[in-house]
Amino acid sequence: MKHSRRWIVAVSVIVLLSGCARSVDTTADGRMKLDYWVFLSGGDLSYMEAIVDEYNSSQDDVYVDLILQDWDDYYTKVVTSVAADRGPDIGISHAASLPQLMNQGLLQPVEDMMLEAGLDFQLFPDNIRNAVEVEGELYAVPIDTHPFILYINNDLAEEAGLLDDEGRPTIEATPTGLMDYFAAAKETLPEKTPLAISTGGIDTYRWWWTVYFQMGGTPIFSDDLREPEITLDREIAIEAAEYIHDFFGDVIPMHIGDFYETFQAGNAVGMMTGVWATGIWESNDLNFTAMPLPQSFDVNAAQGDSHTLIVPIQEEQSTERKEAIAEFIAFVSDEGAEWAKAGHIPARSDVVESQAFQEQPFRSDYADVASKVVFTDNTIYQNPAETDMVRALDEIMSNRLTPEEGIDQMMKALAVTTRQ
Amino acid sequence: MKKLTWKDDLRPIPFLLAFFVAYVLFTIYPIFKGMQMSFFNWTLIEQQEFIGLTHYIDVLSDPNFWEAFGNTALFVLLSTPTMVVLALMLALMANLNTKLQTFFRGSFFIPSILSVSVISFVAIFMLQPYTGVVNNILQAVGFNSEPFWLATPSLAWVSIIAVTLWWTVGFNMILFLTALQGIPDDLYEAAEVDGATRQQMFWRITLPQLMPIGRLILLLQVLASFKVFAQILLITDGGPGTSTRPIILYIYEMGFQRYDLGYAAAMSYLLFMVLLVLSVIQLRLGGKEGRML
Repeated sequence: MKHSRRWIVAVSVIVLLSGCARSVDTTADGRMKLDYWVFLSGGDLSYMEAIVDEYNSSQDDVYVDLILQDWDDYYTKVVTSVAADRGPDIGISHAASLPQLMNQGLLQPVEDMMLEAGLDFQLFPDNIRNAVEVEGELYAVPIDTHPFILYINNDLAEEAGLLDDEGRPTIEATPTGLMDYFAAAKETLPEKTPLAISTGGIDTYRWWWTVYFQMGGTPIFSDDLREPEITLDREIAIEAAEYIHDFFGDVIPMHIGDFYETFQAGNAVGMMTGVWATGIWESNDLNFTAMPLPQSFDVNAAQGDSHTLIVPIQEEQSTERKEAIAEFIAFVSDEGAEWAKAGHIPARSDVVESQAFQEQPFRSDYADVASKVVFTDNTIYQNPAETDMVRALDEIMSNRLTPEEGIDQMMKALAVTTRQ
Repeated sequence: MKKLTWKDDLRPIPFLLAFFVAYVLFTIYPIFKGMQMSFFNWTLIEQQEFIGLTHYIDVLSDPNFWEAFGNTALFVLLSTPTMVVLALMLALMANLNTKLQTFFRGSFFIPSILSVSVISFVAIFMLQPYTGVVNNILQAVGFNSEPFWLATPSLAWVSIIAVTLWWTVGFNMILFLTALQGIPDDLYEAAEVDGATRQQMFWRITLPQLMPIGRLILLLQVLASFKVFAQILLITDGGPGTSTRPIILYIYEMGFQRYDLGYAAAMSYLLFMVLLVLSVIQLRLGGKEGRML
């Protein structure tokens, strides 16, 4: 008797443990469960949640589980989890990270499965379709373009007399236009920050990227996936760094702790960041203008990236699940106007033209920047290269290196990164 | 030879087995797996190719490695002595027979229980220019300048060391405190009878009695300081530029941002060798009696 009871305990422990080891593919009420990983924060997240809720209540067969991952190590988690065959069914990725993920063998091409679900890649403009293409295959469905733009606090700008009759900022599209505008703001509103942006970090890099390509800069890397050459134009890179460097310490205070907060609290006339801030300022009832960075130089170019949906490889995946995945992705793509509420520009031309998008304030003001975005090069080294570039610019803007020394250091670091 | 009996000798084995299995699986096995990785081109998806000592040779000629190593060594040199001496001073304070005893013990130790993300966030918040409390206090007492604590390499080091000190010194203090309380009272009583002053008692009784634990603390502290990582990642991310990037952060970047696990493993083993050598030297120098405690 005693003996048999022990066996029952042992067997039930084993059953319980094996139950834990299997990942759950269905929900309690029998719907197919798809894991969807995102790295979105604050503003973006609530809009994506709304879309997923909408999808879950639109039918009874599939339940999409939105799982928020920390941004800092998101890609590491995707790579390790897929390597352990515990990856998500669907994930968000930046277009810039696709070559690296593809090269790791994590992604499957999505064009055919999306066609079956009724999504045609011809709906996307060329530059954004190219941004998800690696070695001739399309590896993701882009859902937006998010360029780096300029925000102006209308109340402060008006106080400083820096709005025209229609209430638009009067920034001239000349090399000195931007500087003159904020210098004027500094003079009339000495208590306020003319332009808020952090001295180092990713946003300064985005600005530098914009200026570099507006000045006619060549791509950073040649188009070789695994062995790219550095094709960065040193002279223009230096010039662009010098241009930006002049703003720091003059119309931009050095090392602002939290420049979002500075603008949000109404203490800055202008600030620059990605379009996702539009949704944030709207929910804060800030009276602002969102506009493309003025074209100060010869070329009409902008920095930007794209949120895309990827389908990480899984060892065993039934056709049924694959179809469900494709259907959900097509649904998100169709909801592009909803997603645009976060501030993004929809990836698909037909969504951009739709009334649902055109009616939204601000976004239509900068929607045409999407076609001017210079995406990153098709190389597996993009992410580490970005770290190198951010660091070098950091050294320049905080006056530890001259623009020349800084760009040389940048090129040296890029050479090490790409193993040249 | 005595025969092994179930009751006395073999009975503990089943109880130890659980730990032993976990220890082999999660400590011993990874040590050898890591060593194997360092000889391969190894990505997270395990595309492997044996390349022998190439990674080690590359690491030794990698200027970033040497910079990161130098940064770490600097941190160890600056933080370790303060960490030990300050811990001793705090322990002496917390051991005084005053009503504040409990307060001292609590307040010195409490920072140690906070997570690294919390202390890093608080540090960033306090050290911000223009709005941070540190600069505001400085300006309130008459300093007419705006130090950029986290954006100037030397000040960034000062900040990191100060934060680390505040955060971890409590642990060393507890070790010292335990040892202080373990010193037999009759030593002091005898000294008092002989007419020793308090100072003499400290130099002749307290300090020598604390030497063994002091050596242990020094060893642990050197090892811990060499492994400095999380607070730097969160506070400066190795910046400005790469001027505060420690070796572990560089290993992390190579392993988990560039997915070059073989290279990262090779660096880990070089660091491991350094720590091993340092530990052996310290053990040899420290214990004339041949033991740590």
